[in-house]
Formats: sequence, structure tokens, C-alpha cells
Amino acid sequence: MPRLSRLAGLLPIVALVAAWQLAVSLQLYPPVLLPAPAKVADSFVRWGPTILANAGASVLRVVIGVGLAFAVAVPAGLLIGRYPALDRLTDWSIQAFRSVPPISLIPLAMLFFGIGDTPAIVLIFLSALWPLLLNTIFGVRGIERTLLKVARAARASEALVLRDIILPAALPAIFTGLRLAIGGGWLTVVTAEMIAVKSGLGYMILNAQMTFRTELIFAGIIVIGAIGLVADQSVSRLRARVCRWQEGLLAERE
Amino acid sequence: MSGGFITCAGVGKTYTGKGRPVEALQGISLACAEGEFVCLLGLSGCGKSTLLQMIAGLEQPTTGRITVAGQVLDGPSSETSIVFQDHGLFPWMTVRANVEFNMKARRVPPAARRARADDMLALTGLTAFVGSYPHELSGGMRQRVGIARALTTHPRALLMDEPFGALDAQTRGHLQAELLSIWASQRTTVLFVTHSIEEAVFLADRILVFTPRPGRLAAEVMVDMPRPRLPTSPEFAAVAKGLRAMLGSEGGSE
Repeated sequence: MPRLSRLAGLLPIVALVAAWQLAVSLQLYPPVLLPAPAKVADSFVRWGPTILANAGASVLRVVIGVGLAFAVAVPAGLLIGRYPALDRLTDWSIQAFRSVPPISLIPLAMLFFGIGDTPAIVLIFLSALWPLLLNTIFGVRGIERTLLKVARAARASEALVLRDIILPAALPAIFTGLRLAIGGGWLTVVTAEMIAVKSGLGYMILNAQMTFRTELIFAGIIVIGAIGLVADQSVSRLRARVCRWQEGLLAERE
Repeated sequence: MSGGFITCAGVGKTYTGKGRPVEALQGISLACAEGEFVCLLGLSGCGKSTLLQMIAGLEQPTTGRITVAGQVLDGPSSETSIVFQDHGLFPWMTVRANVEFNMKARRVPPAARRARADDMLALTGLTAFVGSYPHELSGGMRQRVGIARALTTHPRALLMDEPFGALDAQTRGHLQAELLSIWASQRTTVLFVTHSIEEAVFLADRILVFTPRPGRLAAEVMVDMPRPRLPTSPEFAAVAKGLRAMLGSEGGSE
């Protein structure tokens, strides 16, 4: 029963909600700090449109930021992985820049781009760029040597090699990069929205704190977690679909 | 040496990496007539694979000269195709796409590619597997795909680098027989690298025996027996015994 055993993944969450309800019933904290699960559930109804609008704003920023990062990092990574000269040129810079947490760039982003979508998208772009770039490069480097020999013996053009060999060989690693990029982008967007933007889930949570609507803070956190889970699962499924050829390969090598 | 579809004149190869240079091959001169089946036989590390890679244009000789079809080699020739021991199939391509790759690299139009691939797939008994991925095939099937791919471009010489080395004895026997019938029907020259005495005696018109460190051409043995050859026959055993003596006490059988 594979479907039933998947549902086991819900058990920790159910246990957490039960513990939460217990804490509320025992009145460990005043209800204004720790609202009951039922009250939070109710806030989904009451604040539904607000939550939806803010979640939409956050998701859109991540989609744009990660999309731009993908468009830059994947072609760049394929070339850097393919040509050692480009690798020597860029290696130190990549290692240096990727060590800078995107959050630490919020002040600069606000100075340059003000308050709004632009600084948030720039920060998401930067947090998604490095995992995508590094994983793409890694994927290209891992290609089986014989495959490149086959291409060379067939006198394949460089364009054909990049498109039909290097790119598909790197795809599994690119998907790993995409998962990390979306995860990183999602963390960044919530943080950025607490400081540099006037919409989105991060802004909504901060606003709820200032107006003392604790249940909305909880609702926001739950939505953030749920969207993160859905995004990760979607990428994971897409990867299994696109890289079907690899699943068998992995099983075989065990 | 003059005349001969493939010729090597004083070919040597020295690897200069870190540490002292290693001489892999020394003073190889040979000629291979069109339509001939020649085995390069030697123990591992004797440089026979290196020689084949150089004839395939994948490596440069340090000294000497290689010609294919009268042309001094400068990179892979369009007159040859190579088959690798680890088959070199693209795991993300179906059998059909793999078989069509060499033609795609040569910009053969899709319709012609398809027709030629169908012919070669039929010749190698793969018609039922056109839509399969390499990981779904057995080792013997994969090597058939490699051979089919190599044949698509009408090569005048097939260069085979221990193509059956990783297969079990029974599959190997089947493929050897199939290769001989393909060779007879396609009238191509075959240059076949192996470390198996039995394989060489079963297949070759002529066997070139290599000795290691540095790789040198030690002897040339004509195999003047009608095909199909019976490994249990006294003539077969006599030729094999002679070769075993030339290869030295380490033997060279399985």
C-alpha cells in the first residue's frame, strides 16, 4: 500500500497540532499569544482574500526571480562546465559571491531599488543564482568521458554537443539546483518582504504582529510551509518525469 | 608501408603528465587492407586501445603517421566509426535516437536518417527495441545498438575497442557470430582490439600481437581457416597455443 504509507508523512504534523491544542487547553500561554488551532483555522476564512493576495504576490516574486536566475545560470553553467578556460576565469568569483547571504544585501538593495518588487526580485535572483549555477557546472563535469568521445568521433558540432549531450547529461543536477534555488528564493522572499516590500506573506505576518492578530501570524506561517512543500514536491515530480531515463540507471548502480 | 586502407608508420605515443613520461606505444608500423578483419591482440596495458583511439582520430600520435583512405589523419575520419567497450550510448536517448546520432552529427536529413536507422536496427535485430532506453537493455543488446550506430554512416572501417569485453561468455559468442555475418554483408574493414586469444582466433583474418611496456608489435599471425571456426577443432587449438606462447607466461585467455 504505497499510497497509505505516504500518508505517514502527515503524522508528525498531526502530532504537532495535537500538542498545540494541548498547550492551549492547559493555558500555558495567554490566548492572545497562542491562539487555538480552531481560531487559526477560522482566520483562514476571515482573512482568506488577504492571505490569498499576499501569497500570490510572494509566489509571483519567487517565480520571476528564480526564472531569471534559471535563464542566466543554466546557459552560463553549461559553458563554464564545458570550457576549462571559463571555469578558471570565474571559479574564485563564484565561490566568493555565493558565500554572501542574500539577506545581507537587503540594505544595499533598498538603497539602490527603493521599496517594492524590484529589490525583492533582485534578492531572490541572487539567492537562486548560485545553487543553479554550481549544480549545472557540477552536472556537466560529471558526464561520462566515452559519451564525449562518441560525439568527437562522429564529428558533432559544438552546438549539437551542448544541446544533445551536455544539457541532458546535466539535467538531473540542474533539477537539484532548481530545488535548492526555489527553497532559497522562498526563504529570501519572506525575509525581504518583512523589510523592503509592502505586500506578500512576509509583510502580512509582520503587519499582523503589529496589530496583534496572532492567529494571522500562525496562518501565514502555515501557508509559507505549505507552499514550500508543494513547490518542492512539484519540482521533484517534474524531475522524475523529465529524467525518467535516469531512474532506472540509479537503481541499476545500487 | 604503402598501400592499405589504414596504415601506421612508426607510430609512437608518450604520455607526459606529472612525473616521468610514460611510453605507451613504440614504433608501430602496420597496414590494413580494405575488407580485412584484423585483431589487435595483447594483454592489458600494451597500448592496443591507445593505437585504436589514435586511428579513430581521438588521440594524437607523438611520433609517426597514420593514414586512413590515403589521407594523413588529423582528427576523426569520416571513413571510420568506432565502437567502445562501455558502449557509449546516451542514456537519455531512445535506441532510435542513439542509432541516429552519428547521422544527425553529419546533418543527414531526418527522413534519410530514419530509413537508414531502420535498416541497421533490422540488421542487428533491434527493431523491437527502438523505443527503449539503454538502461532497459541487456549488455549484449546495448552493444548491438553501439554497432548499429557505428554502421549508419557507411563506414569503410569499423574500429572496435574490446566491444565484447564486458559481456558474459554466451552473449559474447552470439555477438561474435553476428559481427562476422555483418562484416560479410557490409563488406567493411574491421580493426578489433581484444585481450582474448580465443576471440581473436575466432574472428580475425590476421592477428597483430602486442607486447607491453612500451607497447610494441611483436608478431603477425595469419589465420587461414574457413569460417565458421570451431574453437574445439585441433587447428584452432594450434593457432591459440602459438599465440599464447607469444603473449608470454601470463597467458592471455579469459
